[in-house]
Amino acid sequence: MDLKYNIRMNVLKVTNLTKKFSSFTAVNNVSFDLKEGEILGLLGPNGAGKTTTIQMIIGVLTPTKGEVNYFGKNLKNNREEILEKINFSSTYTQLPWLLTVEENLKFISYLYEIKNRNERIKKLAKIFKLEKLLKEQTKDLSSGEITRVNLAKAFINYPKVLLLDEPTASLDPETAEYIRKFLLEERDQFNVSIVWTSHNMAEVEEVCDRVILINNGKIIADNTPDKLAKTIEICHVELNIPDGLKRTIEICQSKKVVYKLEGRYIIIDLKEKEIPVFLRELMDKGVFYDQISIDKPTLNDYFLQAI
Amino acid sequence: MKLNRIYALVLRFFFLFRHSYDRIGDAFYWPTIDLIIWGLTSSYFMTFAPNAPQIMLVILSGLMFWQIVWRAQYEITVNLLEDLWNKNLINIFVSPIKFSEWVVSFIIIGITKAALSFPFTMVVAYLLYKINIVFFGWYFIPIIFLLFMTGWWIGFFVAGLILRFGTQVQTLAWTFAWAIGPFCAMYYPVSILPLWAQKIAVFTPASYVFENAREIINNGYPDPNKFYISFMLNLIYLILSISFFYFSLKKVMKKGLIKVY
Repeated sequence: MDLKYNIRMNVLKVTNLTKKFSSFTAVNNVSFDLKEGEILGLLGPNGAGKTTTIQMIIGVLTPTKGEVNYFGKNLKNNREEILEKINFSSTYTQLPWLLTVEENLKFISYLYEIKNRNERIKKLAKIFKLEKLLKEQTKDLSSGEITRVNLAKAFINYPKVLLLDEPTASLDPETAEYIRKFLLEERDQFNVSIVWTSHNMAEVEEVCDRVILINNGKIIADNTPDKLAKTIEICHVELNIPDGLKRTIEICQSKKVVYKLEGRYIIIDLKEKEIPVFLRELMDKGVFYDQISIDKPTLNDYFLQAI
Repeated sequence: MKLNRIYALVLRFFFLFRHSYDRIGDAFYWPTIDLIIWGLTSSYFMTFAPNAPQIMLVILSGLMFWQIVWRAQYEITVNLLEDLWNKNLINIFVSPIKFSEWVVSFIIIGITKAALSFPFTMVVAYLLYKINIVFFGWYFIPIIFLLFMTGWWIGFFVAGLILRFGTQVQTLAWTFAWAIGPFCAMYYPVSILPLWAQKIAVFTPASYVFENAREIINNGYPDPNKFYISFMLNLIYLILSISFFYFSLKKVMKKGLIKVY
């Protein structure tokens, strides 16, 4: 793990967090921490326990066991003080739909006792491209626009810790990229710490410093995206073979490697270190290929293998 | 308690009020319709009982005072429902708001809306039937305060039920107060209720207030004991209902606010 994150203080510490619904254990003894300025990805398949974990971290679900501490203080006993400094945004929650965007942001700004409310709302409207939507009722917005309003709401109190549940899920690629860039800048400029859940692995790889993988309510991995991806040794080698496809298949079969045919293309699963030897053997057997691409393992490969 | 946070929730109510024809309508439309129907009905009754000139005053003042109970409970339950319908409860509870601030905001919203619709009904009653209830004078204060208290405990009790059982019991927001209505004896004395109902009316704080309102109409002064009994009963029910509301919220927190709402 990067040294610069180890010397930073913990802003969130989750210890032995457990949630049982009758006999079903949704979250089982989950412990992790979040450092100042760190972006932590919380990954897992549907029903893995991510949302339950997030709910307990933001204080809207009482844990069966375990503790959530922010800035060294227990959430249960210091709820008001802590919630002033954190915020939450989810694609799946809404704001009062009859209110205009400006009215929603205004009443939320009072909840957090924000000074210079109007300036703050104006600034956030500019950042999240809501200027033309301020007078629109929330019910008339598209899902992408609502996501941007939710993000503006989440930033209204200058949060030190942000919990974002699929923050870019309903955004077009251009806006999603803009938001990712903005969040990274906020982190760099103000040391904002972020817990980020997403099903978009490429996004998590791009944005997160560290990833926690949850399955069946338990943490099964906790590392940087790079290191998790590197635990997968298999690369996908894709070759276009105008001459010698049959011979290539015979080589694959003799070496007992997995392959897949797509017309004149063959995709072969090989360990990284085996690739040069394999290509050499193709040359020796007179196989001619005119295109080659090698896909190194990604976080997505790790996710698919681990779940 | 932080005033800004209470103001936030009250402000949200005003924004909603401004945009919702339903909310504007129920502040002015229904009280007017009630006054027209009951005013005409009492005019008709008066043709049978010319020796009871107070009949219209008794019925219409009962109706107007009932607006206070109705408004106080309705604003608690329907504003909670608004947050459930809008899936907005989560936004409120991830903020630093305290339970006490939430409760106070409901109370203020009820008072504010009653302050809009009650004077309006007074004016309408005067314009339509020359009925003027200003003669209650200082007695307005205990009457209105005690009726607000009744509306609050009904509201918090129903809100607790809605939190526990969700929007499937939302109809209680409109119906529960009316279930207590007969025992409140707003248009008639408690003595004409069947014996079993009189026993329930003894434990219904609003019944003492409506009895006293009629005493003021008939004799010019109330029975202070009745106000006292009403206050004590209201206080006990208010404490119980707010506790029930609080524990209902705790229960929902165990199930998960996002999951439920």
